[in-house]
Order: sequence, then C-alpha cells, then structure tokens
Amino acid sequence: QEFQFGPCRVEGVVLQELWEAFSAMKDIQAKDNITSVRLLRKEVLQNVSDAESCYLIRALLKFYLTTVFKNYLDKAADSRIRKSFSTLANNFFVIVSKLQPSQENEMFSISESARRRFLLFQRAFKQLDIQAAQTKAFGEVDILLTWMEKFYQF
Amino acid sequence: LCISGGLPQPTNITFLSINMRNILQWSPPEGLQGAEVTYTVQYFIYGQKKWLNKSECRNINRTCCDLSLETSDYEHQYYAKVKAIWERNCSKWAETGRFYPFLETQIGPPRVALTTDEKSISIVLTAPEKWKRNPEDSSISMQQIYSNLKYNVSIYNTKSNRTWSQYVTNHTLVLSWLEPDTLYCVRVESFVPGPPRLAQPSDKQCVHTLKDQASALKVKI
Repeated sequence: QEFQFGPCRVEGVVLQELWEAFSAMKDIQAKDNITSVRLLRKEVLQNVSDAESCYLIRALLKFYLTTVFKNYLDKAADSRIRKSFSTLANNFFVIVSKLQPSQENEMFSISESARRRFLLFQRAFKQLDIQAAQTKAFGEVDILLTWMEKFYQF
Repeated sequence: LCISGGLPQPTNITFLSINMRNILQWSPPEGLQGAEVTYTVQYFIYGQKKWLNKSECRNINRTCCDLSLETSDYEHQYYAKVKAIWERNCSKWAETGRFYPFLETQIGPPRVALTTDEKSISIVLTAPEKWKRNPEDSSISMQQIYSNLKYNVSIYNTKSNRTWSQYVTNHTLVLSWLEPDTLYCVRVESFVPGPPRLAQPSDKQCVHTLKDQASALKVKI
C-alpha cells in the first residue's frame, strides 16, 4: 500500500486510517455555514496530471499543516477528536516529508501549473475570516482524501 | 405564501442512498396527526449560490423525494431541505447535513451464482448496477465507479455449524476441500475501502455439495 503521486512515492501511510480519522470528525462540516464557497473546487483538483500531482499535494498538505490545522488542538476538547486529529496531522506530515518533487528546469511549467491550482485554493481561503476558512478547509478533507485515493495503490 | 414558522419542522431529514439512488426522506412534524400536511423540497450544490427547486416535490403528501438525478455528479456534495405546509401555515426549512454521494452511497450486494461438485463450490459474483433513470438506459456497474470494489464472502457449514469469511477482489471464488453431501450457505457483502459505509449483505443462498462418488461406489461393491 503506497501513494504514487507521479514520480513521488510515499510508503507507510494507511489511507483507511485517514478515512476513519476524518469520519470521526465529519461533524465539523455542520459548523461550516458558508455553503456557497467550496475551496477545493473542480478547477483545483480535476484533471491533474501525474506529474503535477506531486507538486500540488505537497503544497496542499503543507498548507493544511501550517495554516488549517494550526491551533486546532486547542479548540478540540473531545479526546476522540484530538486522537483523530493527531492521526490526520501526523500522516499528512509523513506524506509531506517523503515527497521529493523534482526541481529540474524542464519541470518548471508543470510545477507552475500545480502552483496556479494551489493559488486558486489559497485565494479562496484567504477571502474568508480565518476561523471560518479553517473550519471549511477542515470540512473538505473528505474531498482531499477522495482525490488522494486516486493515487493510492491498494 | 404562508406564515413561516407557524408549523413545527419535519424531523429526521436524511438521504437514503443505495447504488447512487439518492432518496431524501423525513418524518412528519410532531403534533399534526390527521392534518393534511404537504411538503416542498429544495436542494443545493455545495459551493454554488442558489437553492434549487425540485418541481416534482412541491406540495407533495409523501415524506420522501427522489433526488437521484439532481445529485448524480460524483464530484459534488449536496444539501437538501424540506418544509411542511398546512393551510396558510408552513414550517421553517429543515435541512440535511452535507451529503457526499460518492463517499456515502451504500454499495448494494452483488449477484451471486453458485455451482457445486463433491468437495468444492464455485462462486461467481456480478457487481451491482448503479441507479439509472430509465430502465432502457445503459447499465453502469458500480465496479466502474469504484475500481477498488471488493467483496466479503461469508460461508456457513450447516453440518459443523462453522462460519468463515474471506475478502475477494475479483469476481470468482472457488471454495475447495469442503465436506461432501453437506449444505453450505453463502452471503456476500460489497465493500469499498474509504470512509465507513453501511453494508447490505446479499440474501442467504444455500447449496448442497454432492455425495462422495468414491464411497458410493464402495457401497455398491
């Protein structure tokens, strides 16, 4: 079982555990009242080439770790939620740390394409109040995992 | 027009989803037994701007509404809401949580075909079909939607009262080293890795392994 984001391979992450962790936290979606905004919309995730996927997943997961999940533990009172949150965050950290996207020049156009996709997501995030944006991004982890699953070898 | 909030809301509003057939269902408002209450439904695509009407579910008496067509894009998530209307009063809207059919639809059981000989049973599984609007529409197998669809096959030996199960990824399974002249019962559940989903096992199917020809021959001699 491993992820293959184009040339980037990530072993040691059990996707089912991420699903179960998120399922335990799905109620966070009920706290997202801005239903007219979707951060991970089709333009961000649809038709991503294998080559692009490594750059995109790295940018997205780094953003989740540094911005979306930031201070979340302080707000999560329920221990079951804290455990699930830690599972999610730790696995995201493992994935990011193992991704080594190529920095060669001929990959510039591909990495730029991935960066434009990420910027669509980030811009939409920044247009919202930070707390609302964190809640929304957290509630969209199921969209992220559904996309990541396409690159997962069972 | 009606006086909003004049009635209690419908309750237990949820999607019942099996093989992408997505039915919105709810319970009548409490305390209105006997009243001729009607209902109106709207749905919403997460990330878009407007609530949309479902014309076939305006002022209906029943407490369910088929939104399969409206919620058929796998990449989208949805909300739905319903309000109760009676005479000139109506309730506030009662709303579902976010509904993600791709992750939440129950995968129905496969079709199961059994053939047997003395000491083995061959099982052939056919993936369930996705809901389709018209019977004459071409069929789409749930396997085409979920490439990692698997099956959990449970086998029960009625003589030894023993049950065992195993996961299968392809469509055929041969159970060998069985006892001759024994009734075995089989149930199969579809399974897709991912968020936990409700499962629907197939109906129990039983088949008898054949008598052991060798011992039958000895008896004759």
